[in-house]
Amino acid sequence: MTGYQAIHPNVTIKLVNNPWEDYWTKLPLALDGENGPAIFNVHNSYHENLINYLAPLEIPLEELQADFTGVDAHVIDGKVYYIDYGMMTGSVYYNKDMWETAGLTDADIPKTWDEMREVAKKLTIKEGDKLIQAGLNFNDDFHQNYLLGLNYQLGENLFQEDGRTPNVNTDAMKQIMQMLVDLYHTDGVGSENFGEKGSDSFGQGQSAMVIQWGHYYNTLNTTWTDINFGVFEIPTFDGNPYAYNRYNGESSFGVNKNAPAEQQAVAQDFVKYFLANDDAQIAFNLAMSTFPAKKSLADNEKVMENPSLSILSEHIDRYIWPGPMPSTMETSLKKAGQDIFFNGVDIDTALNEAQETIIRDMKSSTFQSVESLYKYAK
Amino acid sequence: MFTKTHPLQSKSEIILRNIVVVAMVLFFTTFLIIPIGIAFAGSFREWNPLSGTYRFLGLENYKEVLTSPLFWSSLWNTLIFSVVVIIFRVGLGLAIAYAIYSALIKYKSFFRSIFYMPVVTPMVAVAFVWKFMYNPQIGTVNQILGLDINWLMNPKTALAAVIIMTIWKDFGYAVVMYMAGLYSLPSDALEAAKVDGANSWQNFRYITFPLLKPMTLFVTITSIISYIQAYVQILIMTEGGPGTATYLSSYIIYDEAFVKYNFGYASALSFVLFILTAAFTWLSFRVSGNEE
Repeated sequence: MTGYQAIHPNVTIKLVNNPWEDYWTKLPLALDGENGPAIFNVHNSYHENLINYLAPLEIPLEELQADFTGVDAHVIDGKVYYIDYGMMTGSVYYNKDMWETAGLTDADIPKTWDEMREVAKKLTIKEGDKLIQAGLNFNDDFHQNYLLGLNYQLGENLFQEDGRTPNVNTDAMKQIMQMLVDLYHTDGVGSENFGEKGSDSFGQGQSAMVIQWGHYYNTLNTTWTDINFGVFEIPTFDGNPYAYNRYNGESSFGVNKNAPAEQQAVAQDFVKYFLANDDAQIAFNLAMSTFPAKKSLADNEKVMENPSLSILSEHIDRYIWPGPMPSTMETSLKKAGQDIFFNGVDIDTALNEAQETIIRDMKSSTFQSVESLYKYAK
Repeated sequence: MFTKTHPLQSKSEIILRNIVVVAMVLFFTTFLIIPIGIAFAGSFREWNPLSGTYRFLGLENYKEVLTSPLFWSSLWNTLIFSVVVIIFRVGLGLAIAYAIYSALIKYKSFFRSIFYMPVVTPMVAVAFVWKFMYNPQIGTVNQILGLDINWLMNPKTALAAVIIMTIWKDFGYAVVMYMAGLYSLPSDALEAAKVDGANSWQNFRYITFPLLKPMTLFVTITSIISYIQAYVQILIMTEGGPGTATYLSSYIIYDEAFVKYNFGYASALSFVLFILTAAFTWLSFRVSGNEE
């Protein structure tokens, strides 16, 4: 903003901050009124609530496609309303001190899930039956970091060919769920009762490994500063996955189509400035720990200094975005997992119920998967 | 000859009355009647105010509510939650109020304040503190009891854990209400019983408790209305989990409206719950014989 206003001293931009949850409720209501913001933050998970208020970007589509990854997934009737400036995904965070204490070295960094399970066992500490240190902890976020991502490693999309029917009650999903159960109940590398959240347990020095998305890198550096951590790319089942994991984009700004013409013109110009400005792109991507969608920044020195981003660079084109999925995909799978781990429900029944719930919840949704636009789509 | 006179004394009083009445009518119309009317109309529609969806569905939402297993299981949870909390709220409230009322207890105001403090503390804050207390690794509950239970994620203990927290937070309300009731008891009835040789139990059983019946009814009815709407403690402590084990009816309404933005279905749920609340309230009056 400062940079833009320095170039355009006649422009004044008033920044309004809101807490995350409040923002997504207030924003559509503000946009529906007469005094909505001319330019605003967009998150693709709120796509359906915002799209009716967005003006198409006044940047030629082919220019955006030439400069940024993943633009095609945002094209609606030949127009683009926002794009990704960065891509966030899940990676494995490990406690280097625990790693060393367990006698592990960099050579032990696992590439496959079988290797991962062996490493997790070595990192687990028990006193009798009591778990003292979890080798791997996925409590509270297994649905985001395992169930909605590892399916791609097994060659299955999250949605069927029609782009709307969820692919939840599938062999791949059952295999992943079974692996999670085995990790805790057979390997004993963690427990559903050990640490309410895996991310907190890792930060509190009780768990040796967690899979978390990019934002966790900054969380560790700001909240859990005592943890000496490293990060490596998510393991695969066979070393040659259809896709390594799901990613989600951090979106560029939205322009309010109902704002006065003069303000819209400035907003459009600001979006151009933001997307063209490499310094801004790097700053935003580092702040969010997202891999730059701007192709020219893929091997940028500052980006590569961030280990949570550099580990993604080799296979970044092997990460897939399913589109702005309705939240029921996450909440229903979370309930399914809790039913399995805590309520004694079998995997088939739990996933079948999740499938039915998602179908019911998506009845009125306009969501259409963009998995078919993936570079290596089957 | 009689002339019709206005009961009010002056013109200014009449103006003031009109202003107050109009203000109240406007207030209730704006914040109660109109929103209820909008919600009722919306309950027959597929309605997402954020995306602008508003499509007529007829009775589809109501059919879906009444055939939803989650609705019935949450209703059962709500019934268990409400009955247990109300029994303990009324029982503990009456017992403690009677104890404080006793001539043997000094510092009555102090005890009344202590027991009332959790009531005025926000539910969100209390729920967060209790959630921490129930933590399986570092929570004080396990440490004090020497147990290793994941209270909020065990389907056998999760609802009970929320119920215990709610009782602790809310019974002070009944204490204060019963204290007010006890201080307003007619002294002649109590003295007459004393003269007739009634012991303490007989005094309580045949004089005090029957005279407190209107207060018991009031606490019970307000508790029914309050607990059928309970959802904050669920939102903070369990999010309805594990799975859907601690879903309460109001939590589904919250989940459908403000998580899934399915306002039509949530409105239908609200009206079903409204009818059930009215039915339980009417039943309470019937049972207590206070239909009027």
